[in-house]
Amino acid sequence: MVMRRQRIRSWMLVLGAAAVAVLMHAGVPFAQAQFLASFAGVALLAVAAEVLLIRYPLRPEYSDRGIWLSVSTPIVIAVILVYGWQFGVWLDALITLVAGTMMVYLRNIHPRWVAVNTFQSVLSAWAAGIATTAIFDSGSDVWSVAAAGALVLGLFVYMLVNGALVSMTVALAEGVRLRWVLAQTLLSLPRDIVLMTPIAFLAMAALHAYGAVGLLGVLAPYLALRQAFVLAARQQELYHQTIRSLGFLVQRAHPYTGGHLQRVSMWARRVAERLGLPPDRCELVYEAALLHDLGKTVLDERILNKPDRLTPAEWEEIRKHPQLGAEILRDTPFLAPIIPWIALHHERPDGAGYPFGLKGDQIPVEARVIAVVDAFDAMIGGEAPNQRRPHKRPLSLDEALTELEQGAGRQFDPQVVAVFQRVVREWRVQREARAGA
Amino acid sequence: MQGAWWALGIAVASIAALAYYAFVVLPARIHRWRCDGLRAFARLIELRTQGRYGNAEPMAELASAVAQRLGIPLHERRRMELAVYLRDIGMVAIPYHILNKPTPLTPAERELMGRHAEIGASITEQIPGLWHVAPIVRVHHVVYREQPDAPLAAHLISALEDWIRVAESADADTAASVLKQGAGARYHPVVVQAILSEVQQRALDGVQSLTRSAALWL
Repeated sequence: MVMRRQRIRSWMLVLGAAAVAVLMHAGVPFAQAQFLASFAGVALLAVAAEVLLIRYPLRPEYSDRGIWLSVSTPIVIAVILVYGWQFGVWLDALITLVAGTMMVYLRNIHPRWVAVNTFQSVLSAWAAGIATTAIFDSGSDVWSVAAAGALVLGLFVYMLVNGALVSMTVALAEGVRLRWVLAQTLLSLPRDIVLMTPIAFLAMAALHAYGAVGLLGVLAPYLALRQAFVLAARQQELYHQTIRSLGFLVQRAHPYTGGHLQRVSMWARRVAERLGLPPDRCELVYEAALLHDLGKTVLDERILNKPDRLTPAEWEEIRKHPQLGAEILRDTPFLAPIIPWIALHHERPDGAGYPFGLKGDQIPVEARVIAVVDAFDAMIGGEAPNQRRPHKRPLSLDEALTELEQGAGRQFDPQVVAVFQRVVREWRVQREARAGA
Repeated sequence: MQGAWWALGIAVASIAALAYYAFVVLPARIHRWRCDGLRAFARLIELRTQGRYGNAEPMAELASAVAQRLGIPLHERRRMELAVYLRDIGMVAIPYHILNKPTPLTPAERELMGRHAEIGASITEQIPGLWHVAPIVRVHHVVYREQPDAPLAAHLISALEDWIRVAESADADTAASVLKQGAGARYHPVVVQAILSEVQQRALDGVQSLTRSAALWL
């Protein structure tokens, strides 16, 4: 924890120093009288644009805060092309600072993030400015191919640099892998550029022809752009909501799976990551682990909660749950990749599992991961007494790990077990450190 | 400046495209995406009750056609469609042995079954993006004489559900006569009218396409 705070502090220092250097290098372009009025006008509009922020949800387990996206980028790029990069850098710094300060009051954001944001936007605007001056002289005719090219290039560089810096900050602040956050923030880059280009072009033309007043004409399309971003963020949110609500149903029908679900899912994702699966696959493993017992919501709860030994007929019923889970998700295309993992999470490498009795490599590695993690969690039982499995005494962590090792090769995939043991040991060290502090 | 007008035209056209995308295409896509997600809930209930409750697929399509006939606005139609998928979700909380009891239910058990709408509404309220669907889920078995002021969408689901059940167990004519008898008492008369004319229209379309293909064969 201390390490993390130190790292984020030094990252902020580096960002701040670089941003101040850029601003000093840019000088104070708007001190000249003819620029002052237009600067004030543009800044006012841009602040308005900045305040209409959009909360872009990151995955709920990373951070329930999400990232606040603003859509003032097209205006900043237009200003860079019309008035020069020095102007753009200062404008971006100012609007991020002012809007950020307003956000501190409006949405309870820590002032530290405002500073970080300001540094990030200065550096991104500078990078965009340098890139565009290479192919376009600011202030020359905007109705040219060079201008349009410079515009797209500027947007691209700005979003790329900003995305990279933001990802770095999020990775340091939340303690997650840079690679994962980067994948999430940069995935939508092409779409964002396509959406922003027309607005930026119109803003540039308006600025060139009418100055700051012209920007008023960009207001309507700007709102349309914002709507598009809001809905795109919404779609992301709906995806997580569906998964969460299904998880909620699993929990409701089957109370002892409560804390179990979150824990199992975290471990499953960590194991998947250590096994070298691609990041998006690791996310899906998390989802699948959360929903792996979905089929149990369909079963008779008198069998699920029965404290005595089950009869063969009842076992037959319980054994249906992987396939029932897959059946539930059959018509939900965006969850299609996890269906086989749910259907096969009770298969065993030696072929003695159910429902199909597949062997070794026939079982997808994700299903093998979920099988190990699920079994382990069942062995150690829940933390609260009412979360314990009805049939068996809970084992200690070490006992459970030994049992996994004994099952490796027959019941469990040995490679997955080895990785999983490392994950659990690290988790325990962390927990003890937290308890000590 | 000749080039300038072209460029301006292109900019304006692409902004119109952007607005269309933002206000028409994306909302429709998000609605479909949402229905895809809720289909899982409907299937869950369908599997839990062995196909007796929760099947949403035939109903969703017919319900939105009838709603269009009634002139219900788009956003309300979408809300109704979500309610069609979610309506029986309360059955997850009803004990399995009551849901699947082979013999007729006792009055107490029937009373418990009747609470599925209320339970479903309280589940729906807890899902952040779906709280606005809860009022329809709560009254999806509404009786017209008792609650004439309930949302039209709820009246529609209530009547359509009975129509589909009877039409599947008997035939379409019996189902139509059930609705006609109940119009004004159990069912909303306007809704009954719309359902019957939609069904009739479909039957006619079916006959027409049949005769057309028959003509082709001959």
